[in-house]
Amino acid sequence: MNNPQQPRLTPIDEWEDEATAMLDGVEYDTELGLRMARDAIRVSNGELSDAEFHEKYHDEVLAEFGEDERPTKPEGFDDD
Amino acid sequence: MTNYGLVIDQERCIGCQACAVSCKQENNVPMGQFWNRVLTEGGDKIDTPSGGYPEDGGSGSLDMQYQPTACQHCENAPCVKVCPVNATYTRDDGIVEIDYDKCIGCRYCMAACPYNARVFNWDEPEHMPEEGTGDVAARPQGVVEKCTFCSHRVDEGLDPACVVNCPADARIFGDLDDESSTVSKYINEYETDQLLEDRGTNPKTHYISGEMSPGRPQTSDKLESELDDVSPWSDGTEDVPSEASGSDSSDSGGGHHSIEGDAVPHVPAVGSGGDD
Ligand code: SF4
Ligand code: SF4
Repeated sequence: MNNPQQPRLTPIDEWEDEATAMLDGVEYDTELGLRMARDAIRVSNGELSDAEFHEKYHDEVLAEFGEDERPTKPEGFDDD
Repeated sequence: MTNYGLVIDQERCIGCQACAVSCKQENNVPMGQFWNRVLTEGGDKIDTPSGGYPEDGGSGSLDMQYQPTACQHCENAPCVKVCPVNATYTRDDGIVEIDYDKCIGCRYCMAACPYNARVFNWDEPEHMPEEGTGDVAARPQGVVEKCTFCSHRVDEGLDPACVVNCPADARIFGDLDDESSTVSKYINEYETDQLLEDRGTNPKTHYISGEMSPGRPQTSDKLESELDDVSPWSDGTEDVPSEASGSDSSDSGGGHHSIEGDAVPHVPAVGSGGDD
């Protein structure tokens, strides 16, 4: 992680490998992190809305972290 | 509303690493970590060019450009969207910041950041000297950290450390929502790019390339907005390109302002090490 050239720009086709390496050994669900990272870029791109992103991962985030405090929560979203 | 952003003039950047070093010093960044790096576009390693040396009187093809890179303070920041505990958040002034007390070290934000702008404290952070440097408290092991646009300085009406310490005046900080700010004028006047525009993150760091701008002469380490009328680079006289000089800059009173009082050239008054 401490590559002397960091921060650097990751070509999109190499992103997945780097993201996997970053999450290696993390105490939380690596695969969930990868999927969320990929979809977060889709939200930035406008391919997915904040609300869709929030709903898509709410249950898994709650199960993994015991809370879901992401700012993507749509108004009136039922937390339970 | 204030929306802070940074313009980096790559035509002015001389790759001296002063921004990287002053960032490390000011923000008490642990050994082995960098929040701000000046990458080299060209050869395979830092400070190596691509191409070949001119031989036999030929012209050669050596080529090297600098790419200063840190957190881009994205408007649509993927790191913010994935943080399950809201430790990474966007301030009202647009700065993306981390609440280190909340961070649980899941590193989801690192995976989501397309700029590799974040670093993780795998071990107990080490500082040299041990008591640390600059004006920011050390962060503990197990959290992610990154550039804050020196928010502790910005809150005091001071420019980020990298901006003040850039000897080439290549870094300009200011309010993107203020049309009269130097950052806004330069973005309008010059060809600027954001990094990885295809990701839709809309970074608040903009890079000038092609034509060199006048930069941001450091008459003080204060934010432009804190300078009252002492702003020789932004009032549209000679140093700001055409459109600004021709316009009805009603705020321009004074033309070339004298620099007085607390104006400090280039080197900021950085507190002595360790006090946070
Ligand atoms: S550059 Fe990375 S860390 Fe900074 S705001 Fe954008 S996504 Fe977040
Ligand atoms: S603003 Fe400060 S913290 Fe941010 S990159 Fe520049 S030097 Fe580093």
